Amino acid sequence: MTQLVQALALGLLIGGVYALMASGLALIFGVMRIINIAQGALLILVAMITWWLWRKTGIDPILASVITTPLMFGFGWVLYRFVVSRIRDQSASMSVLLTFGFALVIEGVLNVVAGNRFRSATPSYFEESFRMGGVSLPKTQVYGFIAALVVLAALYLILTRTWTGRAIRATSQNPSGAALVGVGAAGTAALAFALGTATTGVGGSILSVLYPFFPASHYDWISRLLGIVVLGGLGSLPGAMVGALILGLAETLTATYGSLRWSTLVFYLVIMVVLLFRPQGLYGAKLREDAV
Amino acid sequence: MSRVRSIPRQHLVAGLCLLALVLYPVINPWQPYPQGVMLLGFMLAIQACSWNIISGYAGYISLGHSMFLGLGSYTVAILAIKWGVNPLWLIPLGGVTAVVIALLIGSVVLRTRGHAFVIITIAMLLAAQIFAVNFKGLTQGSDGITLELPFWDRDYQNIPFYYIFLSLLVLTVLFTAWIRRTKFGTGLIAIREDEGKAASIGVNTTRFKIVGYGASAFFIGVAGGVYAYYLTFLNPVGSFAILGSVVIVLAALTGGKGTLYGPVVGAFLVQLTSEAATVYGGGSQTRVLLFGSALVAVVLFMPAGLLPTIEAQWRRRHPVTVEYTDQAGALGHGPATTRERALADVAVQADGQSQGDVLLEVRGVSKRFGGLVAVDNANLTVRKGSITALIGPNGSGKTTLFNLITGGMTADSGEIYFDGQRIDRMKPWERGHLGLGRTFQITRLFKEMTVQENVVAPLPDSRWRTMFADAVSGHEAARARELLDIVGLGRFAGERAGALSYGQQKLVELAQVLMLEPRLILLDEPAGGVNPSLLGRLTGVIRELNERGISFLVVEHNIPLVLELCDPVVVFSRGTPIAEGPPGMIREDPVVLDAYLGDDWRPAPVDDAAKAVRASTHRGVH
Repeated sequence: MTQLVQALALGLLIGGVYALMASGLALIFGVMRIINIAQGALLILVAMITWWLWRKTGIDPILASVITTPLMFGFGWVLYRFVVSRIRDQSASMSVLLTFGFALVIEGVLNVVAGNRFRSATPSYFEESFRMGGVSLPKTQVYGFIAALVVLAALYLILTRTWTGRAIRATSQNPSGAALVGVGAAGTAALAFALGTATTGVGGSILSVLYPFFPASHYDWISRLLGIVVLGGLGSLPGAMVGALILGLAETLTATYGSLRWSTLVFYLVIMVVLLFRPQGLYGAKLREDAV
Repeated sequence: MSRVRSIPRQHLVAGLCLLALVLYPVINPWQPYPQGVMLLGFMLAIQACSWNIISGYAGYISLGHSMFLGLGSYTVAILAIKWGVNPLWLIPLGGVTAVVIALLIGSVVLRTRGHAFVIITIAMLLAAQIFAVNFKGLTQGSDGITLELPFWDRDYQNIPFYYIFLSLLVLTVLFTAWIRRTKFGTGLIAIREDEGKAASIGVNTTRFKIVGYGASAFFIGVAGGVYAYYLTFLNPVGSFAILGSVVIVLAALTGGKGTLYGPVVGAFLVQLTSEAATVYGGGSQTRVLLFGSALVAVVLFMPAGLLPTIEAQWRRRHPVTVEYTDQAGALGHGPATTRERALADVAVQADGQSQGDVLLEVRGVSKRFGGLVAVDNANLTVRKGSITALIGPNGSGKTTLFNLITGGMTADSGEIYFDGQRIDRMKPWERGHLGLGRTFQITRLFKEMTVQENVVAPLPDSRWRTMFADAVSGHEAARARELLDIVGLGRFAGERAGALSYGQQKLVELAQVLMLEPRLILLDEPAGGVNPSLLGRLTGVIRELNERGISFLVVEHNIPLVLELCDPVVVFSRGTPIAEGPPGMIREDPVVLDAYLGDDWRPAPVDDAAKAVRASTHRGVH
């Protein structure tokens, strides 16, 4: 029983972190119909930056997201303005290839600069846990979860309470309608891309304490995130939240009761099952199908 | 000599290159290193050409195609050890495994349109790696499998592999060239250009995509088997490497995706550059960076690829004079002909009593978009042999009704019957196979295809034989030419459809629908953008086809044309029919005058001058 509660609690904690990481992917897809394959690589990039900051200055890795988040916001904005926006008129497949190319470039740069070995940020509380009854919750997981919730709440407020956020949501629902009422598609897209990239600022900082990472681990991460957004429905933010929680729980339960080796496969399995029975995902809206 | 000249230049160049490659080991037999580099180039070319079938032709990008290489390698290696035979005997089985897995994955993910496919391809590649690591009993896990060394002498060890890969490459290129020639190939390209439209002309998009994915796996699986024997060692990380997929995509993209020789050219460029980088650069550590930057650069600066870019420049230097629609030819052409399906209806009609049987029946159909009711409990019948008109104000739901009838959308409620058969749950292509065709208000030709390919693409039935019929020569192509002549565009057969004027595209779209051997054609504003004399020909064609048994349902705002051509006329307003009857009656119906036609059409008032004034102000408002 304790084991089950433990697994559920850990699944929930990690699910919250996944939700944050997947929200950027869902946001970017929702507004631009671009699957940002580089999202995983950006996470690893931030994790590396965080690790370096922690090493040099001793700053708490999770708190370092105060630095990395604006950094990634700017990076995303520049990336969109000067690179991604150039292929707006091309087919969707080209944007997938472009972001795939980004992912490889980031991996390659990290390989050259930081070397191909595992790293992990280990602050003082790294091995400590909160104990409640028989359940022990590692402090890193709890702090990571709290940080993720704070950022998700901020993201929610930005999207619902600010003009920019409403413009982003309007564009994702109906680009031409949004343009008609004075929402510039290009500017909104740049902001959405920047916001989506900024979520990797916090996500990557949390990742650096939760998991060991090396340049090529971005493939694991992007496939997790893709599994989440496919389950939730591509481009749906609430879907990404729910999908992240379900998959976080499924992963910890598999690791607890099955085997750690197979827990990663849960994501691939979920992708297949969802596509087989509910291709639009849990929250995927049926769009108007005619293309006239 | 003249026969050699008649071969297209690209095939001639390809033949000469092949000859040089065949002779190379003969001239320079004792150099295993350059042979090794070349044979890896062949292998990459095999993969890039195969990838081209699903991702170049059909436009569904796969980022995990190197999975099939690993599947082929493992299949051959495992069976070779188990059965104790030489791996080379088993290489076809490597291809079979790859195809089976591709068909399984494809039948899950390719039923839907859009983005899921690319996600699945990455996920499956990574999942394959996990399987290979964890199924130790079968794959020996991370330790990998070691095969026996080739039985031939080490002195010329690479030469047999060189020729095997080269032959496989030739077969792959011939295979992709053959696919491109068939209606299957035109269908794949149609899917890339406009999947919804492809479905409306009888292309079973689901089946085409799945078969295309399967076809793109076979030769990679075979090559994987050979590769395992060449390396004599395989492990999960090497066999299911994501970088392997990157170079496939990069090769095809660099050379020109969707072209025949582009992937081959790209493969050699990528292979040689990568080899040079490994030798002179920082080794394999920098390869990820190199390939990633190359991918970004190609997407940004040369998205069409090398061969199409060169071709486009050559065309710019050697412009072709623009021709106009063969108006005289079109006007002078003999009667339009139809094929057996419509004629069968005429035969029935000849019995006398069946004239006027219901062909299409729409019963209580509704469709909502959020709060907007586009079609509201609509009923409509089209009788066999009629030219029924559907008129009404903009936004009254006419086009939505068309989409519901042909399957572009599904209705929220109601039933649709075609020739007694319920069709509202059928896929668009199934409706097409029953003989239901349509044109679009704004033409939706496949712009990158030639005019002739556009007309050849439709499939009148679901038989495999039709799917693999030759689209370039033979009776299908002849029929397409014939239909193009009917609409007066025979001379444009070889032009890119996107280069045609709007009116010309309308006519091509009509020819395209006729290829479907339709019994009922839904025309969405056929007269829009067609010049007056060609319009005369268009109505002539419609009449001739109608006499030969094809029925029509026409949406049109050109009221004189409607009143002259159609009987009965149905008037649509706010998503439902408000009047139906012969044209003479409709033009005087007060309800219709109020809802749509307006005062211009009101029977002559007392004062002609007052009418003229009123009419002009009326136009001014519009």
